Amino acid sequence: MQDEPVISWKVAGALLGLLLILATALVKPIGVSTQYVVTDGIILHSAAPNIAESNEYLSKYGEKDDWSIGYGWMLVIGMFVGGTISAVATKHFRTRSNPSMPSMWSTQFGNSSPRRMMHAFIGGVLLLFGARLAGGCTSGHMISGISQLTIGSFLFGISIFASGIITARILYRKRLAS
Amino acid sequence: MKLFLGLAIGMAFGAILQLGGASSYKKIMGSLLLKDMDIIKLILMAIAVGTVGIYALDLVDMANLSIKPTYIVGIVIAGLIFGVGFAVAGYCPGTCVVASAEGKTDAMVTVLGGLAGAFIYALVYPAIRGLISVTNYGEVTIPSALGVSGLWIAIPFSAILFVLMFKVLKDRY
Repeated sequence: MQDEPVISWKVAGALLGLLLILATALVKPIGVSTQYVVTDGIILHSAAPNIAESNEYLSKYGEKDDWSIGYGWMLVIGMFVGGTISAVATKHFRTRSNPSMPSMWSTQFGNSSPRRMMHAFIGGVLLLFGARLAGGCTSGHMISGISQLTIGSFLFGISIFASGIITARILYRKRLAS
Repeated sequence: MKLFLGLAIGMAFGAILQLGGASSYKKIMGSLLLKDMDIIKLILMAIAVGTVGIYALDLVDMANLSIKPTYIVGIVIAGLIFGVGFAVAGYCPGTCVVASAEGKTDAMVTVLGGLAGAFIYALVYPAIRGLISVTNYGEVTIPSALGVSGLWIAIPFSAILFVLMFKVLKDRY
């Protein structure tokens, strides 16, 4: 199967936990979503420095790293590099017949690539708007935050699964009914 | 050195997510539809291992903790918005990066949407910052609220997660 995991959830989860411990000992717990703001800041600051510097939220993250890349940004680049290497090594690279289309999605919504792209884009907008309002995403808030027993992270984790489960049931209602 | 360390930790993180199937739309949606529990269990295992390790490190003062503030109203609203995006895209902000690395073009579009979403948030931040100050209890954790050492909570919490993973959560196909 093209999309079957190479390692089990037990092994992947345990390795992820150990990596989180290592990162917390060496630098700080793992997080991703801040880097979307940093990237926006870098792009806007090179295109229109005045606008970037006058934006209160962007400048909060831009100034700290001098509008340039730092540890956290390299971590996200590393995710891309590491993901590419393991995907190629395990023959999971470009295995879809249509690269834009998960087969499960097309059974529910049809074969329209533009429609899939619209879902993917809107989903991304909502993900990062929510993550920035919360101050973290699945990695920084949920995995790192709950591991540190942060009360707000438990709330975030419960909220995203409650809303995600309801939304998924609405999207896939036809499949669930059959 | 810090930059190289970030790259190395990120590479391991990306490879683990990829190998574990966390960058798969089907696996993520399977979890949200409560049919295939692998991704939920992967997350719970990471937390079960991580929480004990982090608070063991903290005991010897070696943990660089980063506690996020708890603002109830803002976080719940944020989580509800995030959850809709999670189900609509079928990825989260980290897994869409890894799925992009697998050559999935819809995930690349989710990354672009994420950059747009973060930018929209930066634009509206002055208007909605009240959501962060209202019901804000600061950097509070369960052990700090109870005034106990972290391991007293981390160990039983981890045990509960193991029961959830191995006894409670079952695939339902």
